[in-house]
Amino acid sequence: MPSSISSSERVRSEPLPGRPGLVRPTAADRPGVAQPVPERDVPSKPWPAMLAAAALVAALALGAWEARMRAVGLVPGDVGDYPSGWAEQRRRLDAGDVPVAIAGDSRILFDTDLDRFERLTGTRPVQLALVGTNARYIVEDVARAANFRGLLIVGIADTSYFRADFGYGADALARYRFESPSQRSGRWLHGWLSQALAFLDEDYRLSKLVHRLDDGWRAGADRYYAATWKLLTMRPDRAARMWSRIEQPGQLQEHARWFWLHGPQRPPASDALVADTIRRTREAVAAIRARGGEVVFLRPPSAGPLREMQERQMPRARGWEPLLREADVRGVHYQDVPAMQGLVMPEYSHLSGACATVYTDAYVRALAGLTPRLALRADAPPPLSPGDCVPRR
Amino acid sequence: MVFNSLTFVVFFALVLALHNLPLPWRTKKINLLVASWLFYAAWNPPFVLLLWISTVVDWWAARGLVAARRPASRHAWMLLSVVANLGMLAYFKYGAFLLDNFGLAMASLGVAYRPPAFDIVLPVGISFYTFATMSYTLDVYLRRAAPARSFLDYALFVTFFPHLVAGPIMRPTELVPQFETPRRASADQLCFGLALMTLGLFQKVVLADGFLAGPVEMVYDGAKPPGMLDAWAATLAFSGQIFCDFAGYSTTAIGAALCLGFALPDNFRFPYAAVGFSDFWRRWHITLSAWLRDYLYIPLGGSRHGAARTYGALMATMLLGGLWHGASWTFVVWGGLHGAYLAAERALRARFAGWRPGGPALVGLGLLTFALVNLAWVFFRAKTFAGAWSVLEGMLGGNRGAPPILPAVDLLAVAVIVGGIVAAHWLMRRRTLESAIAQVPAPVLCAVWACLMFAVAIEQGSGNAFIYFQF
Repeated sequence: MPSSISSSERVRSEPLPGRPGLVRPTAADRPGVAQPVPERDVPSKPWPAMLAAAALVAALALGAWEARMRAVGLVPGDVGDYPSGWAEQRRRLDAGDVPVAIAGDSRILFDTDLDRFERLTGTRPVQLALVGTNARYIVEDVARAANFRGLLIVGIADTSYFRADFGYGADALARYRFESPSQRSGRWLHGWLSQALAFLDEDYRLSKLVHRLDDGWRAGADRYYAATWKLLTMRPDRAARMWSRIEQPGQLQEHARWFWLHGPQRPPASDALVADTIRRTREAVAAIRARGGEVVFLRPPSAGPLREMQERQMPRARGWEPLLREADVRGVHYQDVPAMQGLVMPEYSHLSGACATVYTDAYVRALAGLTPRLALRADAPPPLSPGDCVPRR
Repeated sequence: MVFNSLTFVVFFALVLALHNLPLPWRTKKINLLVASWLFYAAWNPPFVLLLWISTVVDWWAARGLVAARRPASRHAWMLLSVVANLGMLAYFKYGAFLLDNFGLAMASLGVAYRPPAFDIVLPVGISFYTFATMSYTLDVYLRRAAPARSFLDYALFVTFFPHLVAGPIMRPTELVPQFETPRRASADQLCFGLALMTLGLFQKVVLADGFLAGPVEMVYDGAKPPGMLDAWAATLAFSGQIFCDFAGYSTTAIGAALCLGFALPDNFRFPYAAVGFSDFWRRWHITLSAWLRDYLYIPLGGSRHGAARTYGALMATMLLGGLWHGASWTFVVWGGLHGAYLAAERALRARFAGWRPGGPALVGLGLLTFALVNLAWVFFRAKTFAGAWSVLEGMLGGNRGAPPILPAVDLLAVAVIVGGIVAAHWLMRRRTLESAIAQVPAPVLCAVWACLMFAVAIEQGSGNAFIYFQF
């Protein structure tokens, strides 16, 4: 038995008989014995100078890449939409004293201008809407938030609300339920770097750019084209806005329109699913009210062939109206408010940034008439109209 | 925290700065120990307790068996270590699996038994650090090593963050001596360590996550049965993904340790250039296969007690090795396949003892090895046997008329990356990375290094966990 585990007991590394060329034996070559201290040779090169040169070249290349990405339309300060960002906002409900929160899918996320909301009411809502998500699950989650006694504004797209699955929001909710310290610090560091670097965008990673070169080269195969690409920009408090490139005619706008019309579609909701959705909504609303909170619903606009398709799939009389009636909630449908007509939806599904401000102005004023939980400030700016965002011809 | 995260970049910069301050060696070691605990706690702070339990139990078990006068006492101390470590592993990793299978066994006997919900989170890296700490008591028990003189050195051996959660699985004799005397990386070691970290992160972030994970998921996690091209492309993609993921981790770990002045052993040696399966296991996850050989295969009798016992020990080792990778029968089948491969190779070597393949035969056997390794990967990657059969059927031409799945860009990426990996492994099969680098002109190395840095930065990565963390 050796007297101790010490570095003096190193085994000299020698090429093993029968294994020519394996110049550095490993544990694989030494069965049933104490393994010695490994040896790691450093190739004879001017490593410090090489590191400096490589870092310089990489930094220059990154500078050029950053310039290219800014030319593409990416902007510093866009922190992206990640589960950790949602989890951070969700925790604000647990801390209490949140007068207004917004739940929903991408439509109310894009279509709400938090700055305008705050200017009108003096309150900045907690934004909990998520892209590709069934808002009902978020409503049910808020119903479990024991410290929330404020107003929950639920913005829905009928076809998204009357579906069975949660959608992308499941990841965000899981992150809220458990977020490791390294995930939190990662979010903080990413947000900090994103303030200065535009290229840090999930949708413009190297692999995604390469994948998008394939425009259906293999007939019948899955396509990276049939996925959502970058549509929004987001600030750290999840204030979202349509990405300016989508507002401009061109390939990106065409892709977004194509995706909404021809991308993966869900089958129409069954009667049982509609009934179950309404029942669960009613229970969640009752739970929020029992704690002293309130819930109102919004149906933001959609446009063009997408609106026609979605209205065929889930007519207002089948979804929206029974939902309000049977869940005993009040709501504002865009079709009922003149100030919400004629707004610009560049890719049919979401409002342009400017029109999101107009829509927010309109729905805040409409909700203020529905519930005393929302009141306009005395010095609130005057109402906006669709003419404030629709480009003049 | 994971190596491919911004948090690790900051963490590592701070650790490196602290380690290079003019502080006493003992203080530096305490810094490294605390940093390693923080590294682990960054996933889930309470699980540091398990790490401490494993550390303390084996420290006292080793001391106890050295002090024991009777063989039975030595044996008891060794068993304490093994039971404590394997008990933790069994509870956290195999608890649900065991309960589910117990329920199924009862059902097959006509007994209605529904196991209680077993919703336990698997502590990251538990399979790795329990094996490392067990090797300490086992080496002391087997009189291959004396216990460490300092608890600090021993605790750092268990916890040292580069190897903590996904290996290389260290032996005490490899690492404890390195903590006994002051170590600080030279400028060359520091820079070369950073180069290795860049290479490892490139493998993980760009190749494994960026280009190979997608096609694997489309086929293995999708609902459509794959045709031959898609099934093979996805399986080859997985062979590249798991290599780049795991070897990328090991390379990053080796580089990180080197930056601090420590040497970790090789964990991979160009495994896709293996000719035969004993060669494969001398090249793939070397520290695990050596661990299983030294602490399982040899104690089971190894090759010292006749052919039947040898084959039995071989199969038992590989089946348990499969189970080590995950609590699922698919992993057991993967291990069993490799056990069968090894047994068949052993029989063939005995039958054709005088034959030495050369040239084309060597390449042919290498390709056959690679193909069979890929067949086994199907069970490793598929979540269910139904999924595995579906992919296997596709690979064997059974899913005729299946609609295409993978976009052409993925097929191209798999061909280029996996083809490149296999070619590189064959070029490197008889040498080390360092010896190859030594022959490349510095400007070329600079250009390659800059490209790797740039690619890692613009791929960004989303902090995906390494595949082996789940094991």
